[in-house]
Amino acid sequence: MKKNSMKKAFLAVMGSEKRQNITIPLLEVLLGLIAGTIIFLILGKNPIEAFAAFLQGCGLFPKENYAGGRGMFTDFLSYLDNWTPMIFAALAVAVAFKAGLFNIGVSGQMLLSGFIATITVGYSPLPAVVAKPLVILIGVVVGALLGGLIGYLKHRFNINEVVSAIMINYILQYLLSFFILSFYTNPITRQSNVVSDASRLTLQDVMIGDYKTVIPLGFLLALVAVAVMHYFINFTKFGYELKAVGFNGRASRYAGINVRRTIMKAMMTSGALAGLAGVTYYLGYLGSIQPRVLADLGYDSIAVSLLGNANPIGIVFSSFLITVISKGSTYMSSAVSVDQEIGSVITGLMLLFAACGAFVRYKLHMARVSVEEEAREAGKAGKGGDEK
Amino acid sequence: MTMNESAAGTPIIEMRHITKRFPGIVANDDISLSINKGEIFALLGENGAGKSTLMSILFGMYEPDAGEIYIRGEKVRISSPNQATKLNIGMVHQHFKLVSNFTVTENIVLGLEPKKRLGGILPVVDIKGTDGKIAALSEKYGLEVDPRAKIEDLTVSVQQRVEILKMLYREAEIMIFDEPTAMLTPQEIESLLGVIRSLRDAGKTIILITHKLEEIKQVADRCAVLCRGKLVATCDVAATSTHQMAYMMVGREVSNEMEKEPPHFGREVLQVEHLTVKNANGFPVVKDVSFSIREGEIFAVAGVSGNGQDELADAIAGMADAAAGTIRLDGEDITRASVRQRNEAGMAYIPADRQNTGMIMDFTLAENLLLKSYYRPPYCVRGRLHREAFGRKSQELIGAYDIRSGQGADTVVRSMSGGNQQKAIVARELDQQGKLTIFVQPTRGLDIGAIENIHRQILAERAKGRAILLISLELDEVMKLADTIGVIFSGQLLKTAPVQNLTVNQVGNYMMGVTT
Amino acid sequence: MSTIIIDGMAFAMPLFIIAVGGIYSERSGVTNLALEGFLGAGGFFGALFVACTSSLFAASSQLPMYLSLLVAMVGGGLYALLHAVLCIKFKANQVISGVVVNIIAMALTDFLTSQINTSVFGASSDRFVLSVSSRFTVPVLSSIPVLGGFFTNVYPFEVIILLVALAAYYLLYKTTFGMRLRACGDNPSAVDAAGGDVAGIRYIAVMLSGALSGLGGMCFAYSIFANYSSSIYVGYGYLAIAAMIFGNWKILPTFWACVLFGFARSGGYRLVQVLGMPSTYSDLIMILPYLLTLLLLVFFSKNNRSPRALGEIYDKGKR
Repeated sequence: MKKNSMKKAFLAVMGSEKRQNITIPLLEVLLGLIAGTIIFLILGKNPIEAFAAFLQGCGLFPKENYAGGRGMFTDFLSYLDNWTPMIFAALAVAVAFKAGLFNIGVSGQMLLSGFIATITVGYSPLPAVVAKPLVILIGVVVGALLGGLIGYLKHRFNINEVVSAIMINYILQYLLSFFILSFYTNPITRQSNVVSDASRLTLQDVMIGDYKTVIPLGFLLALVAVAVMHYFINFTKFGYELKAVGFNGRASRYAGINVRRTIMKAMMTSGALAGLAGVTYYLGYLGSIQPRVLADLGYDSIAVSLLGNANPIGIVFSSFLITVISKGSTYMSSAVSVDQEIGSVITGLMLLFAACGAFVRYKLHMARVSVEEEAREAGKAGKGGDEK
Repeated sequence: MTMNESAAGTPIIEMRHITKRFPGIVANDDISLSINKGEIFALLGENGAGKSTLMSILFGMYEPDAGEIYIRGEKVRISSPNQATKLNIGMVHQHFKLVSNFTVTENIVLGLEPKKRLGGILPVVDIKGTDGKIAALSEKYGLEVDPRAKIEDLTVSVQQRVEILKMLYREAEIMIFDEPTAMLTPQEIESLLGVIRSLRDAGKTIILITHKLEEIKQVADRCAVLCRGKLVATCDVAATSTHQMAYMMVGREVSNEMEKEPPHFGREVLQVEHLTVKNANGFPVVKDVSFSIREGEIFAVAGVSGNGQDELADAIAGMADAAAGTIRLDGEDITRASVRQRNEAGMAYIPADRQNTGMIMDFTLAENLLLKSYYRPPYCVRGRLHREAFGRKSQELIGAYDIRSGQGADTVVRSMSGGNQQKAIVARELDQQGKLTIFVQPTRGLDIGAIENIHRQILAERAKGRAILLISLELDEVMKLADTIGVIFSGQLLKTAPVQNLTVNQVGNYMMGVTT
Repeated sequence: MSTIIIDGMAFAMPLFIIAVGGIYSERSGVTNLALEGFLGAGGFFGALFVACTSSLFAASSQLPMYLSLLVAMVGGGLYALLHAVLCIKFKANQVISGVVVNIIAMALTDFLTSQINTSVFGASSDRFVLSVSSRFTVPVLSSIPVLGGFFTNVYPFEVIILLVALAAYYLLYKTTFGMRLRACGDNPSAVDAAGGDVAGIRYIAVMLSGALSGLGGMCFAYSIFANYSSSIYVGYGYLAIAAMIFGNWKILPTFWACVLFGFARSGGYRLVQVLGMPSTYSDLIMILPYLLTLLLLVFFSKNNRSPRALGEIYDKGKR
């Protein structure tokens, strides 16, 4: 009896199946934060101070003092600058997810589109009106082609997309590293060349009031992308086919859906979004292409997408949170002197709980059935007629 | 309700007041049974009546929520199949529990592996040394099988022999058979019933789970009837008519007869010529098959499971490629046409696998009802879906075909009952008003009322002049509905003839590949 | 030629034992994309052990290395429990679980390595320094032309891996446990009906997978990296998965696939040396194993048959 009242209480908190789309991710985040708190306590740090430092690092909570010409607003715009590619990257993972595919190659797609855009437009003297749209266009096209390649390998040769995407990631990492180091690196500073301001998607050193800030132009584009993807997934034929293929390929074929084409479309859309993440990251946030490393953001986007239930609206919230953790960890590290890798650990733990989301959903469903059953029997025994 | 059990002394099995609940359903409701040593005891009931659950409890797969079990007079708690084995209870499940890439011997010894020591030290499983023992066992009970053969290369009836040998190897005294004849030809059924009789004569106690009354009449001594989780009666088979048993099983009068109007054949709708289909490994599984179906004709393909029926249906529906041959619909060559093109040309398809092919279980009922027309106006205009149009159409079909679900059109199909899922598929396909409708095992897993309903719908389609391809493993169904029968064996159509020219036994022979 | 063999085998053997780990997990029916995380976690525990005990041993002693291999196996096995629990107890999507387990391994080992270095050893560093394992040469056999390369400058761990692989072969194909494990990957309900414990077998299989990967990871740390840091995550776990797929989920063919990878890699490096190319070209050579994997996958993925029940969640109470 007691067990059942526990069940009921849990059910009441988690709400109906529709509301669980919100409550389950919240639970996952909460568990992740609790785990983070425990780690901070073990390390002998004040967790509240630490979490506040994450927010301070993102301009969401005031620091004690700021350097000249900088303020909370500066940090916040810089945070937006970092958040932008994360939204694109997470949308990329989500679209593939809907079609039952796991695009773990986002970071590779980001790197390649960033690289191509850098060497073609970034190092060119093109004026801003031409350069900026061109950079975006290149990001979309290159990303879509690379995503399409993974989709092609999947449906044509039955290669697990996770394995092929990882292989392509490494190939790109080394191949592009070779080109960058051989041709696009300043021999004295050993840094890769910076892209032209005209091609850069984030306006630098803009004075707003007294503060020197950056303006991430891509952020608006990211919000548009969220709205567009939301519409596509939920209200169009394309979305219907995408979800059908994701749930059941055989039944989709039976329904006359061209599964092959749908997989290609999904991976190309995913790649295009990853490409946008790439150009807003390398030609926006960073300002130069980076050899030898893949962006962590590409892997974090998996966590964002899982936490956001692969839902574009959900992703806005989860990407906000994960970016706070990844971006804020630098400041947090210096403020409370804990290694900044703890940010990835907290993200990882949230991801861990997110992987159990389906199980929680299933348990809640079973609990509901058994509670309803009991209610029905109680209703029968008491001859009560208030059951439907 | 308890019968003359005292005559044979203590019953070998006694189940008292067994109750088992699953979320949303009471599978067994206070069931008491006693079974005597050396008898063939039948458990009769429709799909979902609780027969398999009750026997799974006896075999230790589930534990009952309430009730007691006595074996040979002693109270026992059977919490695992291991314990059931120790109590000398064995079971042949409806879906065989065989490892496809293991040999016969490996499958039989699994869980009770004979060991030897390699070089006197390392323990290893001794398969070779056991082959002989298995061969001897199979000879003793007339269960012919090659101990070294791989399961995936064996036919269904041979696989069943392996399951029986598994029980004998474990020295089972109580043997449970769950729907053992469902996939067999009449001749194979005959020989299986013979084996069951000889097992009884060797002193084994047999429990036979079935919904086929004739089999019970043929072999069983006593029979318990279950209906919706409750025990209706236990009766002496010799003293009870099949009509009485049927009444108890269904809980109402069953009319076995269905009027079938004389046929009115029109022009040929489907023409299949020299069709060959290969499986994923490149082996031909449908070989040089030719037949045609006219308007108003039911062409039924009879055969044992796994002889190419699924591939044949898939090839005609466009889900598998034809390696050779042509398929024509209304005179038009559709051999290379896509699934969608065939749908639009007037082909409807009710596949065998409702849950993995016919529906998308995570979609709503409305989305599933529009699975073949979602992309057309009024449901989709310029890429945008119209939910209202979805709703209107699905309400219409839900009403016309009496599809029941928790939240109407918005119900996620996964949560619907199997019978209502099938109704939804039938509704969607028949609504296409196609020229050709393919039914593959349309009544599998349904209860008697639903089966009658589907049979009526098939005949109604025939009366409307549609061409119908019926592929079924149930020979009764084939004989009852077909105008023309084609018997498939090993991918070939061995015999095609009007139904009135064939007897059940002739069809059974062809099903086993006997052509003389 | 003999450098190609020596370096090739030094790379192939750890890769092989990781792939065997993959075979154990997948033949039991649990999809395993988590090998990368397993090898990193195992290597972390092994390296941590070395770092903690370095004052107890003489600098030239090889004993810590042998012990660390053992610790890496235990650590990898324990870490693999995470994947097992997610897949078996929590019925998570096994592909997602694998990727999540990898991400957590990277984050956690990276963090712990730095944190432990700072707070325990008082040195701010993101790596545990290991020595490179010593090597040995078998007299007589090593002087055989060409094939002598297999007996020259051999890392002791290659012999250990060979022995472990033999034991793994015996366990998988000759014993009761192995037979049931393979049955679980084809039809778990058959094992259930025969009284076997499907969940239990899968737990052990995934943990063994972690132990073998941990061993492989530690060997990589002791050879090509010469230290433990996050740079151990270079996708070798995924290479092992590819090798397993070419090997059709069987131990012996998988071995040949790994040898092929090893030789492709060492052959490539040799080519750079012989042609006297500048060092930036080594980035191009690094591509070879990945490219080869992709190409081989193109040819082999379609025809190879994965275990029938792979990735399916087995629910005993299913009706």
